[in-house]
Amino acid sequence: MARLRDQLVGFIAALRAAGLRISVAESIDAMNAVAAVGLARAPMHEALAAALVKDEADRAIFDESFDRFFAAPRASRGEHPDHRGEQVSAASGRGRPGEEPPVRAAALASRRDEKSLAPPLQAKPAKKSTAARSHGAEKEKNGEEGRDAWRLSDRMRDRQEHREQPSPEESTAPGIDATRVARIRAIERTAFDEFSDLDYDEARDALAPLIRRFRIRLGRRLRLARTGRIDFRRTIRAALQRGGTLIDVNFRARRPRHVDLVILADISGSVRYAAQLMLELMAGTRGCFRRVSSFVYIDHLAEADFEDGHLVMTPALDLHARSDFGRVLGELWQRRTGLLRRGTIVVIMGDGRNNRLPARADLVREIARACRAVVWLNPEDPARWGTGDSAIKQYAREVNALVPSRNLRELQAALAAIA
Amino acid sequence: MDVTREQISDGLKRAKYVTNERVETAIFLALALEKPLLIEGPAGAGKTEVAKVLAEILHTELIRLQCYEGLDEARALYEWNYQKQLLRMQAGEQEGLRWEELSEHIFSRDYLLERPLLRAITAPSRAVLLIDEIDKADEEFEAFLLELLSDFQVSVPELGTLKAHERPVVILTSNRARELSEALRRRCLHLFIDFPGIEQERKIIELKVPELDAKLAAEAARFVSAIRKLGLRKPPSIAETLDWARALVRLGVRELDTDAVRTALSVLLKHEDDRARVESKASALAPRTR
Repeated sequence: MARLRDQLVGFIAALRAAGLRISVAESIDAMNAVAAVGLARAPMHEALAAALVKDEADRAIFDESFDRFFAAPRASRGEHPDHRGEQVSAASGRGRPGEEPPVRAAALASRRDEKSLAPPLQAKPAKKSTAARSHGAEKEKNGEEGRDAWRLSDRMRDRQEHREQPSPEESTAPGIDATRVARIRAIERTAFDEFSDLDYDEARDALAPLIRRFRIRLGRRLRLARTGRIDFRRTIRAALQRGGTLIDVNFRARRPRHVDLVILADISGSVRYAAQLMLELMAGTRGCFRRVSSFVYIDHLAEADFEDGHLVMTPALDLHARSDFGRVLGELWQRRTGLLRRGTIVVIMGDGRNNRLPARADLVREIARACRAVVWLNPEDPARWGTGDSAIKQYAREVNALVPSRNLRELQAALAAIA
Repeated sequence: MDVTREQISDGLKRAKYVTNERVETAIFLALALEKPLLIEGPAGAGKTEVAKVLAEILHTELIRLQCYEGLDEARALYEWNYQKQLLRMQAGEQEGLRWEELSEHIFSRDYLLERPLLRAITAPSRAVLLIDEIDKADEEFEAFLLELLSDFQVSVPELGTLKAHERPVVILTSNRARELSEALRRRCLHLFIDFPGIEQERKIIELKVPELDAKLAAEAARFVSAIRKLGLRKPPSIAETLDWARALVRLGVRELDTDAVRTALSVLLKHEDDRARVESKASALAPRTR
């Protein structure tokens, strides 16, 4: 029993190393769960999942780690690894072999793995990850080292062929919705500067739930009135039921804030995905603010709009121009009448890389003085801020907040903080 | 609690709940470890049904708390019955009762309106408490719930602390309208219920709509599974699949061809653009084309 406990502790450590957040209480739950269901592989697998995986998007990582730690006897794993894929899809009844979603999920999962769990595995395929190594040391005593290594190399091969399919017991794992959720979760965590066009399309699919959540968040503020103007009619009505005794006081719902948003987004090559996603996200929340004016810039300012999910800018910008935010600031300052008022929040999305042209941070100061706030979202890694031609440090002194927004998740949090 | 996995799996079968290893294990653990079970998944995949079936298996009462925005303790836990208290006070004045005597009366259990959470705690025997769509409730309520779920006791200032005789079985469901807090997730066991696979859905249809021809049931399951993969605004739920299957029976459909698919599509899809999309692909998706 003690050996099993050690093995579980090692397993949990491996999961933590792979990026899952597991508390001590949860690991105790996991032990109790295993004690409750017994040691048969399949129930133990599900029991550990129920106790440790609190987010379906982490399930792929869990399944993979579980396979590595608690490998099934060879006989039940299918005759030949290469045929496994077909067997799975036939047995699970999920559809014809080679159908898209499971494969994509596996590919995504492995992509995430490569980022978090697997660097040691990938860099030196002959060696095992640290977690697996310590585990291996324990296993050596029991003379199982060889078998373990075989399994590991087997998995490696699977992955290299990009044909990673769940083993039969797991075949119920990535269903239709789980796949979708996992995909959205993965794309939310992908850094913008690693985006491809394909990622961008996926990220746009993920925007819909984000926009919904965002709107709910904005709307909730309005409904949660606990102070403010008393709603006389509702208060008296409530009191009538209690013989006229004022027990509950009802308040009027808050009115929407008189916030104008001015959004400036850099769509030059380096940060265009981040900027477009932000513009689209904000376009979806239009009703929540009094007025939203969106602009995009590279070396000039252009009004931005979304038609059928496509960015339309007037006038069209030369996409290969060199960024010049100083000039853009000048143009904005010239158009300030009617645009920048006391209630306006200016949101700037860009990396502040100005090709060593004048930064004009003084104009940012003027704008900040004229408006309620200037918030700068920077899709670049904070470690690179201020290096090379980045003028972000100069701007940072003048803006009210400078927030990193490297991926959708951070972007959403940053925007929620503004609203 | 002394429940075996076999009992759970038998009970689920008897309740006509088609399921898999994963669901069974999670339910069993929730009972064995006496931990709340958080069930996530798409709308209409059978999350709420788990709680209902569980109450049936345990032969106990299902207490349901439907969450919504602005749900507060008064609606979820307890509230004093003000009207009754006022009436009692007026009657007491006429009898000439002193305040001490009166307050003993009006702050007794008789004047307490028990809301679902308190009902689950004070239930004489172990109850099943379903906290439905927890993601719709506010974050403050979630924090309040944390406290309750760890101790299963409530202190009512006038009455003292009320403690559960037997811990209720707690099932929480979420549609992910917002992210639940880590703290809540940590305290619960987790189960993700996805849409069923083709084989599983066929079984469900056969169980619940036995009138439908077996061959047709298999085709229907395959068709529904295919349209769920189209990335619709609202993919059809199991309940809608069953309604659709019933509609097919009523319409006297013998073969699931393009026309048959088109006629009853409104039972399955509730958005106009979803319908247009599936209709345009109907010939490709329908198991049989003419």
